[in-house]
Amino acid sequence: MDALVHINDVTKRYDGSDQPAVDGITLQIAPGEAVAVMGPSGSGKSTLLNLIAGLDRPTNGTITVAGRRIDRLSETGMARCRRSQIGMIFQFFNLLDDLTVADNILLPAQLAGMPRVQARARVAELLDALHIERRADAYPGRLSGGERQRVAIARALVNRPLVLLADEPTGALDTATGEEIGQLLLDLNRSGQTLVMVTHNPELAARYTHRAIHLLDGRITGRTGDMFPMSRTAEARR
Amino acid sequence: MVIALVLVVSTASSVLGLALLADSHATFDRAFSAQRGAHVVATIDTSRASTTRLAATAHLPQVSAAAGPFAETNVTATDSSPGAPVIDLPPLTLAGRPAPGGPVDDITLQDGRWPQRPGQVVMESNTDGFGVGIGDTVSVTSAPGRPRLTVVGLATSVSRSADGWVVPTEISALRSREAPAIAQMLYRFHSAGTAGAVSAATAAVRNALPAGAMTDTQSYLNVRAAQSNQVAVYAPFVVAFAIIGLVMSVLIVTNVVSGAVIAGYNRIGILKSIGFTPGQVVAAYTAQVLVPAMVGCLGGVALGNLLSVPLLRKTSDVYGVGQLGVPLWVNLGVPLAMCALVAVAAILPALRAGRLSATEALAAGRAPRTGRGYLAHRLLGRLALPRPATIGLASPFARPARMAATLAAVLLGVTAVTFAVGLVTSLRRAVADLDLTKTEQVQVFLNGPGPVPVKGPGQAPPSAPQSGQVITAALRSQPGTAHYVLEEDGQYVKVAGLVQPLAVTAFVGDARWTGYALSSGHWYTGPDQAVVPKRVLTTLHISVGDTVTITGTGGRTVPVRIVGEVFYQDHDGMTMLTDWRTLTAADPGLRPDPLNFQYDVGLRPGTDPTAYVRALGPKLGSGYGVSINRSGGAEIAIALAGTLTLLLSIAAALGVLNTVVLHTRERVHDLGVFRAVGMTPRQTVAMVLCSVTGTGLLAGVLAVPAGMVVHRYVIPAMAGAAGLGVPPGLLNVYGAVELLALVLAGLVIAVAGALLPAGWAAQARTVSALRAE
Ligand SMILES: Nc1ncnc2c1ncn2[C@@H]1O[C@H](COP(=O)(O)OP(=O)(O)OP(=O)(O)O)[C@@H](O)[C@H]1O
Ligand SMILES: [Mg+2]
Repeated sequence: MDALVHINDVTKRYDGSDQPAVDGITLQIAPGEAVAVMGPSGSGKSTLLNLIAGLDRPTNGTITVAGRRIDRLSETGMARCRRSQIGMIFQFFNLLDDLTVADNILLPAQLAGMPRVQARARVAELLDALHIERRADAYPGRLSGGERQRVAIARALVNRPLVLLADEPTGALDTATGEEIGQLLLDLNRSGQTLVMVTHNPELAARYTHRAIHLLDGRITGRTGDMFPMSRTAEARR
Repeated sequence: MVIALVLVVSTASSVLGLALLADSHATFDRAFSAQRGAHVVATIDTSRASTTRLAATAHLPQVSAAAGPFAETNVTATDSSPGAPVIDLPPLTLAGRPAPGGPVDDITLQDGRWPQRPGQVVMESNTDGFGVGIGDTVSVTSAPGRPRLTVVGLATSVSRSADGWVVPTEISALRSREAPAIAQMLYRFHSAGTAGAVSAATAAVRNALPAGAMTDTQSYLNVRAAQSNQVAVYAPFVVAFAIIGLVMSVLIVTNVVSGAVIAGYNRIGILKSIGFTPGQVVAAYTAQVLVPAMVGCLGGVALGNLLSVPLLRKTSDVYGVGQLGVPLWVNLGVPLAMCALVAVAAILPALRAGRLSATEALAAGRAPRTGRGYLAHRLLGRLALPRPATIGLASPFARPARMAATLAAVLLGVTAVTFAVGLVTSLRRAVADLDLTKTEQVQVFLNGPGPVPVKGPGQAPPSAPQSGQVITAALRSQPGTAHYVLEEDGQYVKVAGLVQPLAVTAFVGDARWTGYALSSGHWYTGPDQAVVPKRVLTTLHISVGDTVTITGTGGRTVPVRIVGEVFYQDHDGMTMLTDWRTLTAADPGLRPDPLNFQYDVGLRPGTDPTAYVRALGPKLGSGYGVSINRSGGAEIAIALAGTLTLLLSIAAALGVLNTVVLHTRERVHDLGVFRAVGMTPRQTVAMVLCSVTGTGLLAGVLAVPAGMVVHRYVIPAMAGAAGLGVPPGLLNVYGAVELLALVLAGLVIAVAGALLPAGWAAQARTVSALRAE
């Protein structure tokens, strides 16, 4: 099966630092796969995710998402690509505090110019699916951490992205809530959503993803897991 | 950085404004005190008061200094220099002074030398129209034997004590037979600040003299008011700009500084967490803001001084007080006041920060407290506009105080623009109204420009009927002539209630088409009517509709009804416009003087004045002059208004820039989120620009009426300073299209200020902002 994301010998060096944050990484992600990115703090996990999201450009190497070279796109092109193909969630949710839950979720659809009625319907559907329909008119400041992350996930999904990128999605949550969110992501993946998740937690990685890559100082130092998602997840769920 | 820039602009405009203001108030006063000007010039009938009685008045308690008596006389004279046409001079007051200096009225000799023997005269250099220069000859036609005086110098008296000075012994020879023996006494008083004080002190002097000895007095306050000094006309609008500039500086500085302190909360929190005391925090923070503020103030002072040089130079030589600069108190006071303001504006929020605990400060450094923008976001979100636009529109509501200050700054900027647009239109129209360039395109006169002597010595001048026939024949045969009228500008009449004779501009024929602007009343319709400028009305304490009595040279008196107030500035506004027959009623023998008349010509629409003049010239032949009526003036005022408006608009745009920068900095995290969910750079720019469009539009809507109000108050004040009433055409200057454009000026200023930070916001590397929550 053809890979959805091709990362080919990618290096990212930030201005003013001689040590590359990501150093010659090659990686492929197949549709429907769930991949964990692991490694100690500062090893380049977030950098790698931002490169896939087109939030940042690699210093060297190529990144292809759904057949398109995103490292070559203009800022505008990257933004368009991001809103149609990529959803992102973060450790600290990154919701907009002065918009309601519904408006937060609606925002990417509005930016993409989705017709109003259709966008509203999509938001209602997501609110329902993520069990936050009662919070639609609340402001993020009033929500619990778990609820906030659900809102963030709904927002990431509103434009039906090809890839969902999650940067330590459970890092700011207590264990029980973290479990819930992890389960949610697993369910999404089982329904076909491609997922790349950064996590420190090997147990989480083992339970919710098919395989993991380990980073150290921007390099891949090891890979665990295989390319046969179903058997692995089925095992993990037990 | 923004602090420094805003302060450069606001300090510069304040310095310039205050310098001109100080100048317009102080130039006369400075010259007056430097030249020890006379508070009162008193005319004394010397047959009634002895020299000892006069000398005793110097010791009155009210009098601080006195000079005189200097013999004087009023004469009529002609400029009769050899080889030049004979020209009647206006009535002159000549005084005998042994030397220009003295304890009172220290006359400034500007050229030539002081008279040393009989037959020499020094003329007042500051009276336009005498037209005599050093070496010319003046014949005193009213004195027996028509004595001739050679002009040996030009001098100016700030007290305007006389029109010319001769050696004291000569005065008796210049008196006509029936003229009384009079002399002038020059007084300085201890208290002369108000008209009341001047007349009280004058009364004390009068009472110390025999009854009827003091026949006339001239207060320095009248001289000062009569100065048709350009700066006095500028003062009202410069004051308006300076006030707008000062208020705007206060707003912007306060906004900049408290914004910077809010943005610095995080830093303050860190400082406190490593052990700074609240006092140290306040000091450190205030100092950090004051440094760019001081740099800005100094830059502003330099810029203000630079701009003021060409403007102040215009007025410096009028009074012979040498080069004027920006007064020291302005150069020191403005930056000090600005720095004090910055300090206050910085210390208040810094004190608040100083009292915060470290954790509170760190928390306060985050994006604005949530809860304020909710409603705005909800309501605007419902609009059928693109989402970036509605988010932008709602964003100012998160910081209402900052939005209000920004609104006020833009409002003031647009007020200045609106006022300036009206001012320029009014000035252009005033110049056109004064010079009649729209209606009276061409003037024909005898003794055209160039060295063509019409009349050599001993040669008879062409008679009025003769030259009139030549001119009217040429005008009638020339296609393109629509109207013409003979204007005679060299006559004077005695008007009851005025000490000086009043100049008369008289028309032979219908002159209504010339289109003199009237502030009130109507153009004269018969020989017993006249129109006068405002200054005549105020000097005579009369109003339109009243009747004055004029006396001709033969002593005949006729009543003349004043039927209108005309917008007219010649002779400093001390003049009367009427039909020629008004003059002949008082003086039946009067004939138009060909050397003082001109034909005013109105052209048919579409006629090119240049071609007309070229064609007419040869028909008239030599000895006649034709010129196009061109208007000049008002350029300085227009340039000044333009400069100040530009500075204020830049300041307003910088205020917007500052607000948007602060806002963008506070919202860097949100910008990261927007990017992460797929906002394009263009959408980001649109969002940031929309955050100021509401403010800009609202400011425009509010500012345009405000600017119109300023215009409505300032134009009459300016005209008043020039001794003029205001015709309605100078006030109704705003057209509908213009007003609409001015409303949009707020938007332009706001968008101009937001453009740069919008670009930064779109380019910002926001990846790291996403991590730092
Ligand atoms: N915007 C930036 N500018 C300069 N250097 C950066 C930037 N962002 C990250 N880095 C550096 O790049 C390296 C990798 O950082 P990155 O955030 O990708 O690590 P991470 O694995 O996500 O760490 P963590 O687990 O703490 O989130 C680090 O050394 C970091 O200091
Ligand atoms: Mg990270």
